[in-house]
Amino acid sequence: MTRHAIFAGLIASVISVATNAPAADAPKAISLGTLYASSGRFASISMPVHYGLKLWIDQKNAEGGVFVKAFNKKIPLKLVAYDDQSNTATAATLYNQLITQDKVDILIADSGSVLTSVAVPIARDHKMLLINQTGTGANFFTPDNPYIVLMADPVSSVWPKPLADFITHDGPHLGIKRVAILYATNDFTGTQANAVRKFIKEANSGVDIVFDQGIPTETSSYTVLLNNIKASNPDAVIHLGYASNDIAFLRNVQDSGIKFNFVFCIYPGLETELLEKNVGSKGLNYVFTYVPSSQIAYQSQFGMSLNEYETAWQQKYANTNVEFGFNSVAGYTTGLVLEKALAAATSLDQLELRKAIFSLSGNLKTLDGTFALDESGAQIGEITPLGQLIAEGDHVKFVTVWPHDVSTGKPIYPRP
Amino acid sequence: MLVYSLLAGLLFGLYFSLIGLGLNLVFGVMRIVNLAHGDFLMLGAFLAFWLFTLISLNPIPAIFIVFLVFVIVGLPLYYLLVPRLLRAKDPEMLSFILFFGLSQVIEALATIAFGTSERSIPGGELGRAIVAVASLLAGHHVENGPIDIFGQTFPAAWVASGIASGIAVLLVYVYLYRTRLGYLTRAVMVHREEAIATGINVHRVSAIAFGIGLGLASVAGVFAPFMLGSITPAMGVEVTVTSFTVIVIGSLGKPLGTLLGGIIYGVSYMFMQSYYSSWANLLPYVLLVAILLVRPSGLLGRQVRRA
Repeated sequence: MTRHAIFAGLIASVISVATNAPAADAPKAISLGTLYASSGRFASISMPVHYGLKLWIDQKNAEGGVFVKAFNKKIPLKLVAYDDQSNTATAATLYNQLITQDKVDILIADSGSVLTSVAVPIARDHKMLLINQTGTGANFFTPDNPYIVLMADPVSSVWPKPLADFITHDGPHLGIKRVAILYATNDFTGTQANAVRKFIKEANSGVDIVFDQGIPTETSSYTVLLNNIKASNPDAVIHLGYASNDIAFLRNVQDSGIKFNFVFCIYPGLETELLEKNVGSKGLNYVFTYVPSSQIAYQSQFGMSLNEYETAWQQKYANTNVEFGFNSVAGYTTGLVLEKALAAATSLDQLELRKAIFSLSGNLKTLDGTFALDESGAQIGEITPLGQLIAEGDHVKFVTVWPHDVSTGKPIYPRP
Repeated sequence: MLVYSLLAGLLFGLYFSLIGLGLNLVFGVMRIVNLAHGDFLMLGAFLAFWLFTLISLNPIPAIFIVFLVFVIVGLPLYYLLVPRLLRAKDPEMLSFILFFGLSQVIEALATIAFGTSERSIPGGELGRAIVAVASLLAGHHVENGPIDIFGQTFPAAWVASGIASGIAVLLVYVYLYRTRLGYLTRAVMVHREEAIATGINVHRVSAIAFGIGLGLASVAGVFAPFMLGSITPAMGVEVTVTSFTVIVIGSLGKPLGTLLGGIIYGVSYMFMQSYYSSWANLLPYVLLVAILLVRPSGLLGRQVRRA
């Protein structure tokens, strides 16, 4: 009898421990470690992403936290964020600190390929999954590295496909046969340039690349470069650079009086408000660019819609100097994916988190479009169509021109 | 391409001569390296930006306001920082640290005040000033737009900046060689202790030179939105490094050397952009290293300390 009682007690204890263990082990908060650049070259693309992520965190904490399946309860989020000042050496030190000193549960990269690049090997060495928000450099994603996933931008090796498809399919009918490519030599735009070149050559559509030059990312003067491009007599000019590069490029185009029939730049789409302030609607008129999720109201099945999010953003950040644009959507999208992943992952093990994030691929539709990953963790969804900007007063409006099934108007070529 | 690069380099180089002029004047008189030079340029740029944004003031008249403001700012700043610095054992080395710290403080405060996003002034604004002068000289209305020089077309902002830079160099030359204060300044540049011994109020002369140095930096800042694409609080450090390169290439302590250094920098940069664009940022620093190895006192050599 005594043995039976002891045995029954033991069984009851084991059952009790098994059912109570998750609640007993649950952390007080899920710590999210990230970097942001409050100054320097990348501040204008980093701060909107950081603020978007913070908005999501504050919202969730106001609701008591996010549901974490591993502990079967809602747990608040704790943000551990440091300022890398757009400096890659500083960023590398701080990423290490987040992992080894702060011991964060989830590591989130700063915005952009340059500040993400230093995190990739660090995360891999520490077997920490890197939540890559907007670093789209193709060489970050290799089959032998499971410790990276891209959240909110398509990887740069596929991102420019709409641009290249437009040039090679519609371009010859419009009269585009000669293309000039000018790109800043970094992971982001270098990869985009490689992709554009590859897609144009593979299309075999009679479109030739007549000018193809890389320039340092710090370039701020384009007058001589524009003269050299003009000498090659292109029908279309593709400039691939960061926001400060696009601003300088488009201002120099305006000031030099050179008229190109077709000009493409990235950031008139991604940071429209910033470019309107610096280049003006006249300088942006007829410029081709990506149409980002901040301009298209995708049907979102999880999280806020674009309108709701923009309203929330303006309420929270109207008095800051941080503009609303694609990058602010990117930070919020990162939060949404993490929320879904934490609700699916059975533990906070990094590869388990990866598995949970991958389970969302193709199934998660947010205000940023359809989330889809390839086997190396690169984002192959959330594709941005090609559009053209048309000036309306002090602002510009987007006309989507490719692909045809989502187009909202016809392209204007050549530029009047 | 060659001719265009050469002419563009001359115009671009003139702007960098203007940037380096103030730094060289301060170093020549006080033997201190103002590592916050680029940050004062940045402040001048933002002042011009806000004058344009708030009261639609064209950058050309803004030059005079900006210059005056920073000369006035420079005077008390000199008395606050420099006399103590000069009493130290190694003022040149300490000036690196002090002004580096000042640079970081200015950048941080500017970031808080203005935010991190790029700002600029429409390029046509400088063109309007040129059009006004050109129309007056021509006797008929001249259209605002790019300007033709020897058959090559350049943005009006570049031409305006080049003209302003040339005028600034001339005025500094007149100040140093044709005014009494300039004679006193040159005396201090040659030998500070001897100048004190002859009864020159060295601090007063130096304070005025310091103020003028900051004023010149701020004038360069007015043209920064046009020559450098846009302005941000973080632009100062890079500008300081470039202006340092310019004055070392020319020669430290000699304003005409700055003109030469700026032109060499500009022309070499534009040639690299044309022919080896990926390496464009590298050549000026290669030139700097080469000049330091071959002619450490700069291209104008031993004339450095003889005013």
